[in-house]
Amino acid sequence: MTVAALPISPHPAVDGGLQLEVTNVSPQTDSIVSITLADPSGRKLPSYVPGSHLVVQYGGEGVNAYSLTGSGNDPSEYTISVLRVEEGAGGSMAMHRLTAGDHVYVSRPRSAFAPASTATHHLLVAAGIGITPVLSHARAAADHGTTSSLIYVYRPGAGAHVDEARELLGPALTECSNRDSFQTVLTEQLTAQGVGTHLYVCGPIPFMDAVLDHARELGWPSARLHSEAFGAAELDEGEPFMVNLVRSGLRLEVPAGVSLLDTLEKAGKSVPNMCRKGICGECVLPVLRGVPQHRDLYLTDQEKAENTTMMCCVSRSEDPELELDL
Amino acid sequence: MRSASMPPAAGTGLEPGFRGVICASFGTGDTAKLHSDGQPKHDFRFDAATPEALSQLRSALGCSKVGVRLLLAGPTPDIRAAAAVAAECGLQQEEMTLLSEEAAPRAIYCPHCHSTTTTLRVAGSEVRCKGCGTNLTTTDHFSRRMGAYLGYQAHVEEAS
Repeated sequence: MTVAALPISPHPAVDGGLQLEVTNVSPQTDSIVSITLADPSGRKLPSYVPGSHLVVQYGGEGVNAYSLTGSGNDPSEYTISVLRVEEGAGGSMAMHRLTAGDHVYVSRPRSAFAPASTATHHLLVAAGIGITPVLSHARAAADHGTTSSLIYVYRPGAGAHVDEARELLGPALTECSNRDSFQTVLTEQLTAQGVGTHLYVCGPIPFMDAVLDHARELGWPSARLHSEAFGAAELDEGEPFMVNLVRSGLRLEVPAGVSLLDTLEKAGKSVPNMCRKGICGECVLPVLRGVPQHRDLYLTDQEKAENTTMMCCVSRSEDPELELDL
Repeated sequence: MRSASMPPAAGTGLEPGFRGVICASFGTGDTAKLHSDGQPKHDFRFDAATPEALSQLRSALGCSKVGVRLLLAGPTPDIRAAAAVAAECGLQQEEMTLLSEEAAPRAIYCPHCHSTTTTLRVAGSEVRCKGCGTNLTTTDHFSRRMGAYLGYQAHVEEAS
C-alpha cells in the first residue's frame, strides 16, 4: 500500500474544508468505484442536505465535484462513487488510484440539488452514475418517513448501487435497461403522481433535458422539477470579442475557441474557479456593460436576463465588447 | 374538444387521476365562461370559502394528479383561502390562476388568536379582531399561506 502525500496546498475550492483519510475503496462496476472518507481522528463529519456534493482535490492542483451518496444525517463518513472517464481531465483517473490510508483535501459538503421541503413524495430519475445524488435523496426520504420512487436506467452489468437501491426502495424501484422501456415507465409515472410530488433527475445532459421536456409537456411546472448536471455538453468555439477590465485598466481580446477564463488567467488575473464547465458557479464575474452570451447551467433564467453577472469559464459575449468589474 | 363540464357525481365528482382544470367559483365569481383550452374541466360553485367548501376542494386535489390546474374566481378573501388550501395540498403557485373581484374586503390575520377578520378599510387603518377583540392595525403584508394580510396590535409601541 502506498500512502500518497497530500498536495502542498489546498486548492481555493477546498480551502477551509476538511482533510480526510480514505478508509475504503470498493468497486461497484468495471468502471465505477465507491470511495469512503473519514476523519483521521475519528471525529464526526458535518451533516449535509441530501443531494449535496463534495469537492475533492486530486493530484497536485485539480479539483472535481462528486455527489455524496449518504442521507447526510449525522455522518461519521462520506461516501462518493466515481466513474472512470478515460478521456477526461484526469480527475477520475486519479480518484481511481486512491487506496485506503491516503489523505485528501475536500471541501465541506455543498448543496445544489436539495429536496423540496414541502414535497410529500419524491420521484427520482437517474441514468448511469447519476444514481449517486438520488440515492442520497432516497435514503434521506426513508429516514424522514417521506416516500420516494426511483426510475433507474443503466446498461446491464454497469449499474452502480443497484443492490442498495433495491433494498431501500423495494417495489418503488423500476430498473430500465433500454430507451423504449424507460419512455413507457416515465410517461406512466409522470401522469400518476399526486399533487405533492416533486421530480429529481440526474444523468447526462441530453437525458435530463429529455426527461424535463417530457415532464413539462405533461403539465409539470418548473417549481416541481429539480436537476443536477454532472457533465456539460460540448460548446462551440464562439466568436472573438473584447473585454474591458475597468478596475485593472486592461483591455483583452478573447479569441474564438479560447474561454474568457483562460484569457484572464493568461493575462495574470486569478479568478476563483472549479469545474470550468459552467456548472459550479465559482467563476462568476460582475458585468458592467454589454450583453453576455450565457452558456452556463448555473445562473437562473432571471439572472441571465439581468445580464449583470456571467460565468467566465463558458460564457462569451453577444456584443463586440464587454465591460467587467475586475 | 372536451370543454364541457363533466357531470357531477358522488363525492367530489372528480374522476381519479384527474389532470385537467378545476374551476372553483365563490359567491358571484364566474368561471363557467372561461375556456380550458380543450382540457377536461371540472366546475365547483360555492357561496363562500366555508370549511365544507374548502374540504371539498381538498379532496378534489387529493385525487388529482400533477398536471392539474386550478382556476379560482370570486371575492379575494375566499379565493385566497382556497389558494392557501391548494398550496397546502402541494399545488404550486404557477398551477393556480386567481381571478379576484375588485374592491372586495380584505382578510386580516390576527397573530394573537390566529383568526381572520374581513374589512373594507385600507392598510394602515384599525380593525377589531373578531376572535379576541384586539384592535389590529392592518398592513400590506400579505401571506399566501394564510390567505390574509398580517395585522398587529394597534399602538403596541406606545405601551409602557
